[in-house]
Amino acid sequence: MRCFTHPLLRRLLGLSPQSVPGGPSQSKGPICSPKWSSLRQSCSARPGLVTATDAVNYWKKVFETNGIPEARESSEYIVSFVLGAKTFQSLNSKSLYTPLTALQQEQIQQLSNKRLERMPVQYVLGEWDFQDLTLKMRPPVFIPRPETEDLVSLVVEEESWKCEKNSDLCFPVSVPHPVILEIGCGSGAISLSLLCKLPQSQVIAVDKEKTAVDLTRENAHRLQLQDRIHILHHDVSLSSAKQLLLWGPLDFIVSNPPYVFHEDMASLDAEILCYENLDALDGGDDGLRVIKTILALAPSLLKDSGL
Amino acid sequence: MRPNAAALPAWAPPAVAGARPVPTCISGSPRRSVRSCLLQRPLGGFIPDKLRPRFCMNVPSFFHFTFFLREVRTPAWSRWIWRTQQFSVPRVPSRQAAGKNSSSNLLGLTEAELKEQFVRGDGPGGQATNKTNNCVVLKHIPSFIFLQCHQTRSVEQNRKIAREILQEKVDLFYKGEDSDVFKEKKALEKKKQEKKRKAKENLERKKQFKEMQQLDKK
Repeated sequence: MRCFTHPLLRRLLGLSPQSVPGGPSQSKGPICSPKWSSLRQSCSARPGLVTATDAVNYWKKVFETNGIPEARESSEYIVSFVLGAKTFQSLNSKSLYTPLTALQQEQIQQLSNKRLERMPVQYVLGEWDFQDLTLKMRPPVFIPRPETEDLVSLVVEEESWKCEKNSDLCFPVSVPHPVILEIGCGSGAISLSLLCKLPQSQVIAVDKEKTAVDLTRENAHRLQLQDRIHILHHDVSLSSAKQLLLWGPLDFIVSNPPYVFHEDMASLDAEILCYENLDALDGGDDGLRVIKTILALAPSLLKDSGL
Repeated sequence: MRPNAAALPAWAPPAVAGARPVPTCISGSPRRSVRSCLLQRPLGGFIPDKLRPRFCMNVPSFFHFTFFLREVRTPAWSRWIWRTQQFSVPRVPSRQAAGKNSSSNLLGLTEAELKEQFVRGDGPGGQATNKTNNCVVLKHIPSFIFLQCHQTRSVEQNRKIAREILQEKVDLFYKGEDSDVFKEKKALEKKKQEKKRKAKENLERKKQFKEMQQLDKK
């Protein structure tokens, strides 16, 4: 686009990128966050007018200059969010080329400044998608990873396989009401997805962090699922497991526990190190500390056919 | 018969790096609606006769070829030279938007025919990273059609939407004008044109009525 051969941009690109190992704690701020007025001046074809595409390209350059990873994706998500869409690709052509209002530009700038501090995009936007749900996100609660969506699909498959098996055996089948325990619920992604996909299920969600419990409760209320989920502030490695049996033996125990090797923790990205709860990642020396605890608990909590 | 590659202009990179090419409609009308997926086919790629749809050489006049190399991390496919056919693809698969059962008459796709890739960059996945690019690239091996879908922020949803859209595209590819997708699109266009014509007529009538009123006043 013509506006990006502007001398301002050449000056931007001429600056050396700043490495950001410690995230927001370092003394120097991000390099050169030019004001919007410079961007408006630089779009000479349409003086004073900035479109979504201009904004994305502009902030992509700013992020790249400042060494922010996923520069294009970050700017696209931020601009799309301000325009009320999930992704840039889902915007229609009219939205792409309609000039942004001053308020929208201000919102984009505020969000982009947070991203310049290496805040993960999910925390910048305050929300993210998990399967077909949109969940609130808040530091330091662990951000659900895309691979975890497969875990939910696995549980749903297992449950439907169990139902088929029972109907094949000609048992008098009432509608199944699986009881599921999630250990380490975080934002509630796994629990709430399962409640949506298995309409008769009930979930007990536990987390040792109060912030995670609060966020899960908030997401459950937003999705109107609070009646089918019981959220406990509970550390499975310290406290008694009796309160986990309030609905009887369990059909499933599901978890995305911490499993990163302790020695690898220091090499994580600044986004993770500075904003996410590291206890949600650190799995100890062999990465299995929490997993072993869960496996040790499982026999006393699960039904005979439980998984 | 293969497309005559010599008659086609050579591929050239877009004028400005990072610029998105302007999508055009199937009907040739000005660009509109959502550019949800980009559909790509090989340039002059060999298509076995038994798989070649009978309308292959009667390339519909409303298909508009543009030249665009998408930055997709697909090293296994890098030997192909891709040409992009950009469709005005609706936000949701068209049959869903029309409220029909999307799988009813469409050619089925099996997972064995599909190759999927997530555009998420290099490095390990899992808890140790927080990649946000959940774009899904889905390829239908027999027809060489592939598309990119980044409609949502969830990789599962993108996979699901990509499959639905690919199924429509493959159905259109093999069945041509017999495809339900084609028929519904034509019906929709006809409805739109009818609506436009009626709106124009109403406007004309109102104009005439106003003119008559003014004449009466005089």
